[in-house]
Amino acid sequence: MKLNTDMRVNRVTDEVWEIPVTEKTGMLVPARIYATPGILQTMDRGVFDQVTNVACLPGIARYALCMPDGHWGYGFPIGGVAAFDTRSGIISPGGVGYDINCGMRLIRTDLTLEEVQPKLDRLMTELFRRVPAGVGAAGFIRLNRGSFEGVMTRGARWCIEEGYGWHRDLAHIEEGGCIAGADPSNVSDHAVGRGINQLGTLGSGNHYLEVQVVSSNRVFDPETATAFGITGQDQIVVMVHCGSRGFGHQVASDYLKIFEKAMRRYGISVKDPQLACAPFRSPEGQDYFSAMNCAANTAFANRQVITHQIREAFATVFGQSAEELGMELVYDVAHNIAKVERYLEGDLLVHRKGSTRAFGPGSPDLPWDFQKTGQPVICGGSMETGSYLLVGTDRAVSETFGSTMHGSGRTMSRAQAKKSIRGEQLQQEMSRRGILVKAVSMSGLAEEAGFAYKNISDVVETVDRAGITKKVAELRPIGNIKG
Amino acid sequence: MHSYQFLDDIAVADLAFKAEGDSVEELFRAATEALLETLADPSTVAVTWERRIEHVCGALDELLFEWLSDLVYWKDAAGVVFHEADLSVVQKGTTWTLAAVVRGAPVDQTTQILHNDVKGVTKHLYEVKQQGMRWYAQVVVDV
Repeated sequence: MKLNTDMRVNRVTDEVWEIPVTEKTGMLVPARIYATPGILQTMDRGVFDQVTNVACLPGIARYALCMPDGHWGYGFPIGGVAAFDTRSGIISPGGVGYDINCGMRLIRTDLTLEEVQPKLDRLMTELFRRVPAGVGAAGFIRLNRGSFEGVMTRGARWCIEEGYGWHRDLAHIEEGGCIAGADPSNVSDHAVGRGINQLGTLGSGNHYLEVQVVSSNRVFDPETATAFGITGQDQIVVMVHCGSRGFGHQVASDYLKIFEKAMRRYGISVKDPQLACAPFRSPEGQDYFSAMNCAANTAFANRQVITHQIREAFATVFGQSAEELGMELVYDVAHNIAKVERYLEGDLLVHRKGSTRAFGPGSPDLPWDFQKTGQPVICGGSMETGSYLLVGTDRAVSETFGSTMHGSGRTMSRAQAKKSIRGEQLQQEMSRRGILVKAVSMSGLAEEAGFAYKNISDVVETVDRAGITKKVAELRPIGNIKG
Repeated sequence: MHSYQFLDDIAVADLAFKAEGDSVEELFRAATEALLETLADPSTVAVTWERRIEHVCGALDELLFEWLSDLVYWKDAAGVVFHEADLSVVQKGTTWTLAAVVRGAPVDQTTQILHNDVKGVTKHLYEVKQQGMRWYAQVVVDV
């Protein structure tokens, strides 16, 4: 099998591959990649280099992992998972990603395709108007430093207190939409300056808001789907993909600089400057953790405000309240974050970068209505090919620190994609296939063409067969908003 | 003389460019133009907003990094995109000083051709170097 690496990659199962510690000087644990042989062959060289670099970081437990949607990233690969002993291990902004708590949110409705199709154009126009997207877009909520600190410390709870959502939404957000230990005094003025006007905005790049349909023939686990509020029957749902915007990026950039200096003091060397890190228990490590939690809470709040705007848009177009339309939150998951979780080894700081938490049934971290099913896992595909709702498993908890894939993963650069198709042409082609796209930037749209991504169905099949998440339903796009 | 080009094969999920110039100042102009173009088509951006920026730095690569990061900061903090930037880069002893005036306008989706919302400048494969009489920089920006 021809791979984009000279390192030895051993087969563990048809979906799990291991690079032994002998393949790179300094590796403390083996690296494991979840992929079918076909996906493994398409993985770029960066995946192999970076996952083995991560395996060299102090305090790493068991394995450095990469999910099947993995590709090159800054420091850690996208799709990377690594857990570190909280007493002897490190924390690294490169293991969280610049867009702290970038994540996915899924909202169900009682509406059907038949009901929405005649009003789709008006609906997408209303959503485009209410959810700012693209370069420099500002949200409708005006914050001062004090109220922004409320967002940083209370996350989605702040939104509910301010009337942007329903109290029961909180139970269906990872960590209840509010991570403890967020300390705004560890956030720079620069970060506040970038984030204070951005609450309720999508951003650009691969972020989007998508109206989707769930058909009965694409529901794979009807019982779990029902528990998640998914009926199938051409049901309309809405997916949101975005994070902490410029605020989170500035937090990450600020602490990368601090960690570059701190590493010398703590005698830590890394294989790549973007893996800059500090001992988790050090003052620098704790400061970053609390600042990262500020950004994570801001991202939960961002998606909550967007949800409020989505509900308002639907209510306007369909002439019924969001509650009458059954617009309940299915779930909200982070896929760029570091969290302390307990595993066989004890308390570990689990870094997930382009990877989703996937807890199985019975987890105390899940609300009562998901105790029997396990945690909903929301995976976004390209805007042309569709997305998936999955469910977490006990096997994920035992094998991958409760982690799974997050999306389809790019295979083509943005520059190449833009050379292959124009945004206007893509918009027309998608319209002919029944997908209405509203985009701020036509060049940005071209960069997100479906052919620039792996086939998400192949990625989903891998994690399903590996047993670290199971398929619940496939979600097909009919309307998309991009920055 | 200066120029820039976007790179196809680096940073699959983000954007990368290579900038070059006959002098340090020309290199900075090339990299600035590349970043401005990454955000929006500068020819479609009016001039209703202006900001003076100055940086003093011991290392040239750090100076360029800080300057490009500043542009990203003002894009978010002031909600603007840019038409142009006049700049000078002067070496005095062991330090470099950048003095710049950046001009642009608040984001307006109806009149401007907007491109990517750059979240930050990264140090991945980041490089500033002199080869012969020419200066080069490679920059990857996170979008």
